[in-house]
Order: sequence, then C-alpha cells, then structure tokens
Amino acid sequence: MRRRDLTAFAFQTLTLHRLRTGLTLAAIAIGVTAVMLLTALGDAAKAYVVREFAGVGTNLVIVVPGRTETSGGMPSFGGTTRDLTLEDVLAVARQCPAVRRATPMSMGTAPAEYGGRSRDIRVIGTTSEFADVRKLAMESGEYLPPGDPRQGEHVVVLGTKVARELFQGENPLGKTLRVGEWRLRVIGVLAAKGISLGIDYDDQVQVPVSVGLKMFDQSGLFRILAEAVNPQAVPIAQREMRAVLTRRHDDEEDFTLITQNAMLQTFGAVIDALTGGLAGIAAISLAVAGIGIMNVMLVSVSERTGEVGLLKALGARRRQILQVFLVEALMLSGGGALAGIVVGLIAIAIAGGIWTFIPLRASPIWIGVVLVLAMGAGVSFGILPARRAAALDAADALRGRH
Amino acid sequence: MSDAAGTAARAGAGPAAAGPGEAIIRLDHVSRVYQVGESQVRALDDVSLAIARGEFAAVMGPSGSGKSTMLNVLGCLDTPTSGSYLLDGERVEGLSEDRLAEVRQKRIGFIFQSFHLVPRMTAARNVELPMIFAGVEPRLRGERVQARLEAVGLGPRAHHRPDQLSGGERQRVAIARAMVMEPSILLADEPTGNLDSRSGDEIVALLERLNQAGLTVVIVTHDPRVAAHARRVLRMSDGRLVEE
Repeated sequence: MRRRDLTAFAFQTLTLHRLRTGLTLAAIAIGVTAVMLLTALGDAAKAYVVREFAGVGTNLVIVVPGRTETSGGMPSFGGTTRDLTLEDVLAVARQCPAVRRATPMSMGTAPAEYGGRSRDIRVIGTTSEFADVRKLAMESGEYLPPGDPRQGEHVVVLGTKVARELFQGENPLGKTLRVGEWRLRVIGVLAAKGISLGIDYDDQVQVPVSVGLKMFDQSGLFRILAEAVNPQAVPIAQREMRAVLTRRHDDEEDFTLITQNAMLQTFGAVIDALTGGLAGIAAISLAVAGIGIMNVMLVSVSERTGEVGLLKALGARRRQILQVFLVEALMLSGGGALAGIVVGLIAIAIAGGIWTFIPLRASPIWIGVVLVLAMGAGVSFGILPARRAAALDAADALRGRH
Repeated sequence: MSDAAGTAARAGAGPAAAGPGEAIIRLDHVSRVYQVGESQVRALDDVSLAIARGEFAAVMGPSGSGKSTMLNVLGCLDTPTSGSYLLDGERVEGLSEDRLAEVRQKRIGFIFQSFHLVPRMTAARNVELPMIFAGVEPRLRGERVQARLEAVGLGPRAHHRPDQLSGGERQRVAIARAMVMEPSILLADEPTGNLDSRSGDEIVALLERLNQAGLTVVIVTHDPRVAAHARRVLRMSDGRLVEE
C-alpha cells in the first residue's frame, strides 16, 4: 500500500467525524501546549537566575553576616553573630594572597532632595574598589576617591536614573544633594548598568562607607565583596577568608561565604527539579490525551468492523489493516501536537511580550521532546485498537460481529 | 461442458470426479466444525464439490444449512477443519493468512447482500479500494475505475457517495469493485436480498452477462427466481449437499 494512499485513507476517515476528531486533537494540543509553556517557564526561571547571578562575577566571594547552613539563603539572626567591620575588610585585603581586592558594602534607604524635588533612594556605602569589583563605569565625573575607608568625604556618586530625575537635565557635577540629614557633593554619575544581584544600579546613589554607616547609624556592614585573583583561585580565596575572619571573630564562624558557582548550583538544581516536575505534570495530560486517542480509535474500530471485514475480503493484509488504524492514531497525535506547538509558540510570544523581564523562550529541544512524546502516545495508545482491528476474523467482521 | 461438470459434482461422499484441468473449484471431503461452548457444530459436513470454469451456480438452502460457511470457505475467508480445497489448481488449506489475502485479492470478487460500500467514499473511490490495497500505481487506477463503472452503467455517477445512490446502483458499484482486479470467480452472498424485484432482476442480468464473458459465478440465495437463472443449483441442508 502506498504511503499517500494510506494517509489519504486515514485523512478521509478523520474528516468524517469532525467533532470527534477535533476534540481528540484539542486534548493532545492542550497537553502539548501545557508541556511547552511549563518547560518554557522553567527554562526562563533558570535563565533569569543564571543571568542574575552571572552578574556577580566568576571570581567574586561575598561575605554575609550570620551563619547559614546552605549557601545562598538568608542568614540566620541571633546567637553570637558579630558585625562585619571595616577592619575585617582591611584584614581580608591584606592577609589573603588569593584575594586581589576587597570592598565593604552598607545599605539603607533615605529621602534625597535637590531643587525642591525629593524621593526615597537606596544608598550604598562603599569604597573606591567597589567600581572595579562590580565593574561599574562612569558616565561623567569621578567615582569615590581611594583612601582610608574609615574617613570618607561628604561626596556622592549617582545612578543615571537618579541624576536624570532629580536634576532634570541640569549637570549634577559639583551640585549639592541632600540625602537624609546629609549634604553631599555630587562627584560623578554612573553609566547605565541595570539590575544586577537585585540592585538597580541606575536607581541608587553611592557614598563612602563611613558616611553610609553613620547616615543609618549602622555598626556592621551589609556585605563584604572580595575578588579572587582569578576564577580558579576562588576556593583558595574562600579558604583564606574563612581562616582570617574566623580568627578575627574569636574563632567563631559567624558569617557565610557565597560564590557565584555555589548559588548557580543551588538554584540551578532547584529549578531543574522544578522544571522536570512541571514537565512531568504536563506529560500526564499527554497520557490522558493518549487514552482519549485510544478511546476514539476503539470506537472507530468497532464502528467499522464491517469495513475491516470488507477490506480483508478485498485482499487487505493484516499488516495493512494495522497500518490504516495506526496511521489514523498517528495523524491524530501528530496533528494535535503540531496544533499544540503552534498555540504554545503564540502563547509564549504573547507572555514574553507582556512580562518582558522573564526571558520566555520555546526551546527547540523541548519542542522535539514533546513532539516525540505525543507521537509516542499516539502509537502506544493506537496500537491496541489497530491490533484489534487487524485481528478481526474476516467472515465474522463482514457480518458485523466482533 | 456444464453437463460434464454437473455429473461430476455430486452431493455426499466420494471425491469429485471432474478433470483437474476443468474444475476451478474443487472441494474434497471438506468439513468445517465450530466449537460452540461444549458442543460442536458441523457447519460443513463432508462436502465434495467441483465447479467448472465459467459455471453459474446457485447455492440454496434454509438458514443454518451451511451455505454461508460454504461461501466463506470458497472465498478463502474461512478455512476447512478437514478435507482439501483446490482453487484454480492451488491447494488452499494450510496457506498463511497473508497468502489467503493474496488469493482473495487476485482471484476472487465478492458481493454482499448489504453491499458493503464504504459510506464516506464516492463510487469511484469504492471501486478503487482493492487496487489501493494491492498497490496498483495511481495513474493506472483512474482508467480502470471508469471502465468498470461504465461496464455496470454507472459512468456518470462515479462521484456520488453511496447514500446518493439507489439500492440497485449500490450493488452495481459493488460489482464494479468486485471486478476491478479481474478475478476468475465472483462469489455473491444474497446479492438481491435488499433489492426490489426490478433492481434484483437487473443485478441478476448483470451477473449473467459477466458469466457469459467467462466469469465463474457462485450465488448464495433464498430466492428461487434468482436460482432459476443459474445453470446449476446446489441445495444444502445441515451442512451437507443434498441435491443438485
């Protein structure tokens, strides 16, 4: 039997029962779309996390006050947690050979005001090394000056959005910005960078760390950022930093070291598991759709018993009858899968257009997987009805018995 | 020739005596036994029969006399429990299912009381069906379909679906389909059973015409008027051939 005849034969049968065929196609399509959407979501979540943490830099080690058992979680509070201090930063910078530079980071929010315009703004307190560690470039002016971190001048560096909104096209360099109770001289404006590690560098200002700590009356740092001499040296730097800081904290490890790799591994594993789970759930709907195919095919076989008998009387081989019904099942599953892929692509495009911050993308691998899964469901659930048709006794089938 | 075959094929025991060259169908002591629960039903009971090439034979008998089983065995839709069946010189018993399908495809045309047309297909597609399953090249099919439909007087109705045709027309489509692979035997199971007498007569006339052109025709029928057209009438009772 020729392939074209086979498909034409199956197609003719399927177009006869439009509603039944349509519903079966829809069931498959929904399953396929579900798999596509959920896997795209999972992939997007992973891509988002990777993108976020990739911004950390491959040779960065972050010190967070407080001890946590897992890397990348919230530090626990209470206990005998000592503050991270500027002295800790200096000790890390001086005593750890694998650390190229270390920089403190304080954090707070205060109202900023210029020329009658005022808004709440995130204030990061740090040192000149921060620009190197976080790879910040200047749009104009200078970054925070180097020097003893304990004695900073009353200066401020602005994110581009802050500069734009508060100064409204005026050149902010040399102007005085009021931040909380403090009057700070603007010495530079950062080039646009966007969001990295949860901080929008366009929508914040940076001050010397001594100013930052005093402004919010803080005794300890929010973070210490240390940069290893190269990515391979990260574990060594971690070991050295742990030793230095533990010694400085009365032999107690009351801080947590975080690296990009540790975070990526933790989140990556969690999200992979999540994606797998979501895909599994969606695949269940495919299995249900497969059972739908089986049901439709069983009905079809029993309705067409006489036809099977006729085909056998006309000389159709057992294998040909099997093919006829299997091709029908395959056309149902394949057609449903294609429809589902198209709907999935459209849905992903629309969702990606609405939520632009999620990197939603249909991965070709998942499309391939879902297509194979759907066709597989068609074959595996279609084989039983097809076998039943092929095995019908010709004489009985002609009389409508089965 | 029909005389020779007539005397050769006899009800009851004993191998049929027709010369092997002449008989297109030859049953020797054929039985077909069905197991129904505990009991055995002998649908065919030691039947021997020879039908010569070009014969027009009718099989008559009451319901349950075994005439349908006879037709199924002759058409290779069913195989004998015992005995031997030579079809056109070929031994049929023991053939695989696929070989039997091939025999049906090449040598046997079937028509049925209920026509068995595929309802979703046009007359032309129905006639094309056997060629589709035989793998005949598409470009050869159209002409053959048209020729067969014209031969049964349905040339202009080729693109009608069965529900747009009368009963007589449907049976004529079925005959065109049965003939499209150019079989040597046509087996008809109550071909006029669902038709009014005028359409029935037309179908019988058509079968006679085909027979005159050399086709061997075997009809199973209740209708004495149909049987009257046959040159040979076989009567069955309780699985046996009782009378010619």
